[in-house]
Amino acid sequence: MPKLFIYLFIALVVAGSCKSGGAGKDASLEIPDSVLNMGIEISEEVMRDIVQNISSPVEMAAMIKELGVPYSNRYISPTDRVGNLTTSYQQALNLGIYAADLGYLNMNNKTSAVIDYLTAIKTLSDAIKVGQFFDFTTLKRLATNSKNLDSLMYISVHSFNEMDKYLHSNNRTNLSALIVTGVWIEGLYLGTQVYEISPNQQLAERIGEQKLTLDQLVLILDKYQQDKQYANLLVELGKIKDLFQAVNIRIEIGEPEMVEENGMLIIVQHDKSIVEISPELLKSIIETTEQVRNRLISL
Amino acid sequence: MKKFIIAFSVFVFAWSAFIHAQDVSQLTAQCAANAGDVMYLKDFVVKLDQGTPGGAPPTARFALLLSKNVVYRFSICTAANSDGEAVLQLLDMNTLLGSTFISATGKDFPYFDFKCQKTSVYHVFISFKEGRAGEGVGIMSYVKKL
Repeated sequence: MPKLFIYLFIALVVAGSCKSGGAGKDASLEIPDSVLNMGIEISEEVMRDIVQNISSPVEMAAMIKELGVPYSNRYISPTDRVGNLTTSYQQALNLGIYAADLGYLNMNNKTSAVIDYLTAIKTLSDAIKVGQFFDFTTLKRLATNSKNLDSLMYISVHSFNEMDKYLHSNNRTNLSALIVTGVWIEGLYLGTQVYEISPNQQLAERIGEQKLTLDQLVLILDKYQQDKQYANLLVELGKIKDLFQAVNIRIEIGEPEMVEENGMLIIVQHDKSIVEISPELLKSIIETTEQVRNRLISL
Repeated sequence: MKKFIIAFSVFVFAWSAFIHAQDVSQLTAQCAANAGDVMYLKDFVVKLDQGTPGGAPPTARFALLLSKNVVYRFSICTAANSDGEAVLQLLDMNTLLGSTFISATGKDFPYFDFKCQKTSVYHVFISFKEGRAGEGVGIMSYVKKL
């Protein structure tokens, strides 16, 4: 009978390693005892309810593309510093930053640059033992052909989502939090830099609405504040959060409407969120975001 | 012979787990492709047991931050080996905004579009008709900017 359990255990490891990291332990990947021993400050129910899509590598890029703003490589983080990222903290944070950059590049079909960013992402994801979620051979092959953009986009984003699920289910939410932060700050940087060149009311509102996302992000990162690096990150994000306090978001209530058009169901929302953000405040947010983001990528 | 049976059973169990993972991956990819000319953002893989008689159907819940001035598409696909048929609902707090199954008419839709005008946290609920056990995937996609 004990042999049966051994066989089952081996089988589960074999089956699980096909999708899971099966990684050996690395001291730099371990959550410090100081964090583990900390009491939970928010309930597990609230943690479960924290949004699944706190930052997407592609939504901001998609909006900017639809606004007709030309592509510029000024907005993306250079990949030549990947070799300097040696701690899991730096690697995870910058993995998120490069994921956002990759989304921007993919949206603009910049295939030659995509390869560089895929390489950077591979290096960093391997370093934090999540490289198995990115089929880089396929991604590089797709990136070399502009006709494969849909597939490239799907696999890139899906891989990122699967990696995030894995980190959550394997008690590595500390790294997930950093990756998500990296995606968010790079997306905000992209949006604010584009706004400076091409002011647009919708983009201004989207920037102002990041107040809501940042609140969620801080809630997640707060759980790890006893770690000095996370505490410093919270201080940096706090500079942006303080500015967002002055953004006023009010809601006009309306009834949703369900219509069927050409056999398709469309839900039209009549609630409206109105974002009130002054030009001066927007300018401050743009400047502070640039400073915070540049400090984070220079770590 | 007994050892062979045990080893074979274990192999079948492990292989089934591996195949299941691949099936879910294929279902997700197929469901994302079936969503149309849109950009995939997120998937929600759901596997639920049968509900208790007279009780509320088991439901998987996901919180999402949706942005104003964006049209999102929510699709649902049921796994081939699922007992129940999957239903995806989108809620704003306690208000049901949309569903892939309209109970009033008994009509099913493979997806619906949501023209978002309010940046806020919403919830996707996925359940199976009549509280049956089931497996399925929900997909959230970006359609366009309003």
